[in-house]
Amino acid sequence: MADASIVVDSLSKSFANETVLRDINFTVADGDLCVVVGPSGCGKSTLLQCLAGLVEYDRGHIELDGRSDDTLTVAERDLGYVFQEFEDALFPHMTVAENIAFGLRQQDVDYDEDEIDAKIDEMLDLLSIPETKDNVPDELSGGQQQRVELARQLVRDCDIMLLDDPLADLDYKLQKRMELEIRSIHADLESTFLYVTHNQDQALKLADKLVVMNNGMVEQVGTPAEVYQSPETAFVGRFVGDSNAFEGTVTATEGDTVSLDTPLGDVRASVASGTVSTGDASLFQFRPNAVRRVDEGSADNSFAAQLIDQTYTGEETELTFRHHGSEAVVQAVTPRRSSLEVGDDVTIGWDASDTVFFPTLSVTDTTTVTDLQEI
Amino acid sequence: MSQNPTSRDTPDEQVTNDVLEVEDLTKVYPDGTVAVDDIGFAVSPGDFCVIIGPSGCGKSTTLHSLIGTVEPTDGTVRLSGNDITHAPTYERDIGLVFQDFQLFPHRTVRENVAYGLERIETDEDEAEERIDNALDLMDIRSLADRDPTELSAGQKQRVALARSIVLEPELLLLDEPLGDLDYKLQKKMERELLRIHRELDITFIYVTHDQTQAMRLADQLVVMNDGKIEQSASVNDVYNNPATGFVATFVGDSNTFFGTVTEILDGGERARVETAFGSLTASTANLYSDPHEVVGQRMALSVRPHYVTLDADAENTLDCSVESVIHQQGSGTQLVLNAAADGQTAEFQLKSHDILDFDADTATVGWSAEHTTLLERNSVVDGVDLEEDILGE
Repeated sequence: MADASIVVDSLSKSFANETVLRDINFTVADGDLCVVVGPSGCGKSTLLQCLAGLVEYDRGHIELDGRSDDTLTVAERDLGYVFQEFEDALFPHMTVAENIAFGLRQQDVDYDEDEIDAKIDEMLDLLSIPETKDNVPDELSGGQQQRVELARQLVRDCDIMLLDDPLADLDYKLQKRMELEIRSIHADLESTFLYVTHNQDQALKLADKLVVMNNGMVEQVGTPAEVYQSPETAFVGRFVGDSNAFEGTVTATEGDTVSLDTPLGDVRASVASGTVSTGDASLFQFRPNAVRRVDEGSADNSFAAQLIDQTYTGEETELTFRHHGSEAVVQAVTPRRSSLEVGDDVTIGWDASDTVFFPTLSVTDTTTVTDLQEI
Repeated sequence: MSQNPTSRDTPDEQVTNDVLEVEDLTKVYPDGTVAVDDIGFAVSPGDFCVIIGPSGCGKSTTLHSLIGTVEPTDGTVRLSGNDITHAPTYERDIGLVFQDFQLFPHRTVRENVAYGLERIETDEDEAEERIDNALDLMDIRSLADRDPTELSAGQKQRVALARSIVLEPELLLLDEPLGDLDYKLQKKMERELLRIHRELDITFIYVTHDQTQAMRLADQLVVMNDGKIEQSASVNDVYNNPATGFVATFVGDSNTFFGTVTEILDGGERARVETAFGSLTASTANLYSDPHEVVGQRMALSVRPHYVTLDADAENTLDCSVESVIHQQGSGTQLVLNAAADGQTAEFQLKSHDILDFDADTATVGWSAEHTTLLERNSVVDGVDLEEDILGE
């Protein structure tokens, strides 16, 4: 694994009697932007702290750029680390320029003052905050402070950057802008980014590689396309992207397709990884963007339903249908405006290839169907 | 056409069956800060009204004037026709839900929900029935005997909602109620709010700075900026017929640039606009003035990234270099482009609902005149610089 910048091997960590990380395995290729995504409390921030050397782990092994971490002090790891709680990270009595220079002066490299000044200007320009150079952090908005913290870490030009949900506290517009900037900064610096977030939308937008975590364990590692299109567990299917999920019992199997007895009636589905036999009961799901208005029988799964609500958001319309014959609610989404009106009775449908039955709910053995429907 | 952008979409005279009417509302704080500057808007019964704007735009002061925790300097607030401008908070038939829940610890969920009914001395049987209904509506009946401190953030927010809803207020005010929740939970609760609103006969007023949330929830959007209302209208109008440049850039994504109107075409329906990036055709439907009167004027124009395609034969086209191609599973493809002309560059974005098979360094993008919106005014506030405000910080 010579080209792996980060190797996490069988990592486990407990606090008191609570296991927060259990047998974590993944690698990040040199120069990749890897996003670790999972709900609050899944262990993703602890993982980052283990990599930074701020938290000692119980078992396992970490390699950073080919160096085993047990010989490395925190400083020797030479990592950039951006926290979400940036307010505590900046020095309040120093100007923005001095804050950024501090990171540079900590390095072994002997920069002269002109070089330092040039690097500061370059960073401030990159993050669109050149006007803040001589302000102290207190005089800045939250968004500006977060960008100063980013600048302070990025200016050090470390081979590995750890980012702990750095955009979580920013306003929507600034968040969208900074997502694009983080992508382009990553492309410019050519360093390896490990980025942690609970925001799966951001994760899908930024990642070269996704690590989906749940309750201290890794559920799936893959490209965004692999994770979104071929979720291996029901947790991954539910957590990454939007979905409709119901319980179903297998009534027949033929090749890669199964027939399911469900609250909606008979449903045909493809099978996620694992084996199935007749009588198995588990969760199945389909994405709202797979649901369309159909002529009866022209999709693998089609049902009579009534439109009970719709909301137009400019870019798309979200539709809520109530299935005739059961109280089941099915969400659909269509580009721009829909031609339907609330109260309309229609036939909706989706294909078996867009419907996934999950033999495995989760890699954890504590996740229940109810938990997953709550997501 | 009316000269007042806030009333452009409403007839001047209408029968007021509005549940909430705000007229000439002004709040000047003792230090001289004008937080709210002579605003007016009305909300129809049963509507979901979202007040949106950047930090410091006056939305919180407006909300507190409705609650009665801020004393307006001037103006009137009417609830179902009754002047409540100076009524104490407890006399207003208004429910409140905040971001930090404000639940009572050491009281069960049921006791929290019962609290308001006890204060108004509701008949016991009726109270029990209303509490059960509220718990059922919020899907928290199974949590009724739990202490709020044992609950997750999403469950606490459900309890807070049940506690307000049980009182069956005319108006429910929600102040960034989902601000602190995880992304996934936020999306789920947004859907829940839409369901609850659909099932109840209560008017919602919701304050947020999150424009995706606003677009998703609102029947009516009130867009505020610097103490004033930029536009009060449906999501469709705000998105497709923005009253000002501020609205076009703050609400929803947009590509905005400047040009000079040189010619009116098709009997007034379209205008030719000369920009640094070439000659474009724009719809005149969004103008306040007679189209012929704006010939020679320089103004902003915008097109939403979702209306831009890789169609080189469209009415309007632009040659761009490609900065970034973002394929996002479940959302589609976003192209971040750079249009260059006369030494000027402008960022331009295209968004597609499908994942595009695209991987080139340059692109010709196109869009229709219909989706090219002329923005005669930058803002209802003087001296607004669109470039500065695009970040909306």
